[in-house]
Order: sequence, then C-alpha cells, then structure tokens
Amino acid sequence: MIASVLAGHSAVADLPVRKDSFYERLGIDVILGEGAAAVQLDSSEVLTEGGRTIPFDRLLIATGSDARTVPAAEAAAAELDGIFYMRTLKHVESMVRILPEAGEGTGSALVLGGGLVGFKAAYGLLHRGFRVVMLIKSGYPLFMQVDAEAGRLIQEELEKKGLEVRTGVEAVGFEGEGRVEAARLSDGSMLSCSLVVVGKGVVPAMGFLPTEIETHAGVVVDEYLETTVPGIYAAGDVAESVDVARDKPWVNAIWPVAVEQGRHAGWNMAGRPVAYPGSLSRNVIRIFDLDVLTAGVVNPDEGEGYEAQVHYDPRRRLYRKLVTKEGRLAGVVLLNGIEQGGVLMNMVADRRPFTAPVERFFDGSFNFGLVSGRVG
Amino acid sequence: MKNVVVHPERCVGCMQCMIACATAHSHTKATPAALLEVPRPSPRVHVGAGIYNEGFPNRCRHCDPAPCLLACLPGAIYRDPETDTVLVNYDRCINCASCAMACPYGVIRYTEDYKAPPGKVVSVKCDNCVERQHEGKVPACVETCKTGALTFEDPAIAAKRKTGEVARSVSVGEEAREVPGSPTFSLLNALKRAQKIVNIR
Repeated sequence: MIASVLAGHSAVADLPVRKDSFYERLGIDVILGEGAAAVQLDSSEVLTEGGRTIPFDRLLIATGSDARTVPAAEAAAAELDGIFYMRTLKHVESMVRILPEAGEGTGSALVLGGGLVGFKAAYGLLHRGFRVVMLIKSGYPLFMQVDAEAGRLIQEELEKKGLEVRTGVEAVGFEGEGRVEAARLSDGSMLSCSLVVVGKGVVPAMGFLPTEIETHAGVVVDEYLETTVPGIYAAGDVAESVDVARDKPWVNAIWPVAVEQGRHAGWNMAGRPVAYPGSLSRNVIRIFDLDVLTAGVVNPDEGEGYEAQVHYDPRRRLYRKLVTKEGRLAGVVLLNGIEQGGVLMNMVADRRPFTAPVERFFDGSFNFGLVSGRVG
Repeated sequence: MKNVVVHPERCVGCMQCMIACATAHSHTKATPAALLEVPRPSPRVHVGAGIYNEGFPNRCRHCDPAPCLLACLPGAIYRDPETDTVLVNYDRCINCASCAMACPYGVIRYTEDYKAPPGKVVSVKCDNCVERQHEGKVPACVETCKTGALTFEDPAIAAKRKTGEVARSVSVGEEAREVPGSPTFSLLNALKRAQKIVNIR
C-alpha cells in the first residue's frame, strides 16, 4: 500500500484499512504511538516506552517485524540525507517529501535488494521519473521467491521498463555532503545517486522479550501459537510456526499468515483450543505488465525427493513451474495467468494429492473442476 | 437463506450461464448490446473442464470465513449480511491479486467493470446477482441453466435432498434405479470418460 503512495497513485488518506472507530466499536482500549519496552513475567505486566505498566492474564506478542538494517547504510544515514528504508508510512512520507530536491524526473536512485520491497520501491521511483539502479547481491531478482529461470524473465521485463539491474554486487559505503551523492560498490566502482532505498528484508521485532520466551528466527510457538511461557502467545511476522510445504520451523512474514495466526491465537487465548496447521510462504506481485505468483518450495534442494516440471510459453508470456513431492504439490511459480494460483496454493497448503496428470495443470482451460476429485 | 447450488453431474458444458452472467453484469442488460460495451462485460461464473473433460460450472462459494476477504490488503472485500454475499468495493480495490492467491476455487478475475472507476482494473467476482435479487429475480446463471446444474435454493435443503437420493439408491432392490431425473447425464458422463480413456491410450 505504501508503495502506491511512493508511486503517486494513492493518497495517504486512502491507506487506513479500518475506520477510526474500529477499536472503540470492539471495546478495545488502544494506546497508539507507544511501543512495548519489556515483559515482566513474575508480575505478569507489560512496561511501555512511555512508562506505563499494564497487567495481563493472557498476552499476545504481535509486534511484527522491522526492516533489516544494513551497517553501511546505517552509518551513512546518520550523516547523509536521502537514505531510506521502506517499511512504514513515515519512511515513505519522508521519501516523498525530498523527491523534488532529489531530482524527481531526472535524478538517479539506488535500490538495495531485489526482493519484494526493492521492487515496489523501484516501481514507484521509476514512476516518479528517476533513473533507477537495483543492486542484487544474489544471482537474480526475487531470489527468495522464484527460480532462476523466472528470475531471468522478471529481470528482462524490468530492464525493458528502464530499470538497471546489477547482480553480484552490493553497496559498501556512501558519500556526499549533507545528502547522499554517490555509493561505493563492492566491486570498487562508484555510482552517483541522490536517493537510496534499502530493501533487504525484515527481522522480527522481539528484542524487548525476556529470555524465558524462547526465540529462534522468531518467537517459537507451538501448534496453539503459545510461546514457551504459558499464557503468552505470539502471532504474525514475529512468530516462528511451522511451514507446511517445508515441514520445518519457519517465519513466514506475510499478511495472510498474520491474519490466520491472529485468528487462531485469539481463539486459543479465549479458551477455545484450535490447532494451527502451519503457515505457507506465498507471494503475489504485479511488476509492470508481469504478474508473479509463488507459493511453497520453489527452489528445492537436491536429494530431498522433489521433482519439478516447467512449462514456458514465450508467445503468451506464460511461465509455470510446479514442484512435486510424493504425488503432492509442494510449490508453484506462475508468471502471468495467475487467476488460478489460489487453487494451486491451497493444494500445497492442504497437501491434497494430484487427481490428474501434472501436465493438465499447464492447460489454459485448467479450473477447479480438475482438482475437485469428482469422476463423472 | 437461498443461494446458488451447483450440481456438477448435470452440467453439459454449454456455457450459457457465462453469457447470461456477463449480460447481467453489463450496463445494458441485453446480450447483443452488451457485446458492444466498453469495457466488455465479463462473466463471474466459469465453466471449465473436469478430469474427463466434463463441464464444471465454477463460481464463488461466498465462503464463511472467506479466504479472499481475510487476505484483502486494502479491506475492499466485505460481506453483505442481508444476502450472505462476499462483495468487492471497486473504489478500495488496488488490483493486487492477493484474493486470487487466497481463493481455493480460482473464481476471481481482474478486469475493468462498468461499475468501477473508468480505466481501473479491479477484482471481479460473483455477487450472487444481488441487484436482480432485490428485483425479485433469481441469479442470471440459474435462470438460464437448462439442465438443472445450477439451482437457487437453501443449500441445507439441497444437501438433505441429495442425502435422501443417495440413501434410497443403496436400499436393497433399489440399486439399479437411476437417481431421480433422467439417465442422460450419466450416459453423457460415461461417454466422456470412455472417450478420455481411449484418447489417453
């Protein structure tokens, strides 16, 4: 949503999903603009940054995640203007504010990271008339979400739209006087830029928690979303549940998973035990004229029993990769024609066996009838 | 509450429901004129091919809880309590396709619509013909279906009738009797299945 503010497609006033009366209508007292500073287990209280003490019977940790920091950018941002993360509305508002002086329409912008945030930033800045260079340390765009072949197709599409992509390099330093003017790259070269956006992923916001609450990549929860301390639950970007496709503990820091986990945590905290089956990594993004949908395991490791089938139709610009394991769908990558993606995503999530040959799923006529299990 | 119930075993794949649906969601509400409209009206029901290439009329189940509604980032998808229908607010929709990724049935499309802001591509799905229902009409797909594959009734009553039919079919001495209706559908489906098997070989 904030990306469309950067692109100039949405106004800030259009962003709120809920009306102002939302919390009041539900009878929730809400304290805005004040974070949690500590959790005291012996007295069952939460201390806030503003010095309040709030007692609890049950506690839900839903603090989400923060942008992953990059040391070089951190150090430079303390002295130079024009270096931003893109995580909150505040970030984007301050970005939009300096666009005119950063040379909107003619300036050069640098995007660090080829993930989803990097793309949204690049898309917005291209719309604002910047010349945009994207640095991707890994081999290709959306490295975490798609396979190499799809990554190549995405990169081609982006380059057609004027984005310059450089892989295998990263920024190691920034220079300028008062505001950023250039970036020093790991290959020794310099790149002039008047705006830098850092999109290197997110990390769970769990630094304030006591050590009794076990954390790993995120706050460790059981199938009822309860942490290692009874009565304290976690959900959303901060929680480490199980990934159903990988069958491993995993943090899937995405909106739909946060919604699922929040509902389950709520039920369990209210005393109605409902097991959470686990989360599934998935993403859908529209990059200019290209639609990308991915779910589950897309880059399986050798020797883990996965098989992949790929179908590419260059004329219709359709790319499909289906990853299977033991007769079940484990992952999917779709470029364009993504309307049936939900059927496939749910096949992965439900571990539903194939009811028809895998090739049938590449057909344009593919619809739910094929997986409904009905036979005449 | 009445809703559209799908009986896939009766579908012959004629796709007339798709045409009726597109017409019902057009500005002019008349097929010949609808064809000339810009943007071109699009169907919300989608007839696809099943395992044996038999027809399958696929439409929104208006699930509760609805995965698309829960996945909607800008809060554009909502439930109309009066008709128990999941609807999209075109002004709020940002065409992000999160609903397509969530929908287990693949019944959401992205296109312009005569009710959406001009030039804006939005998430388009079955609205249970709420407008027609307010005029006392049944949904367009049901009205046009010639084979009874789509009916407008209380799903609980439809399920009970089906249970009764299945129960009777297993009674001693009744095994050979056809499920009420005509044997045509069974014959058609058997034929399609045979053709498919022959083609595979």
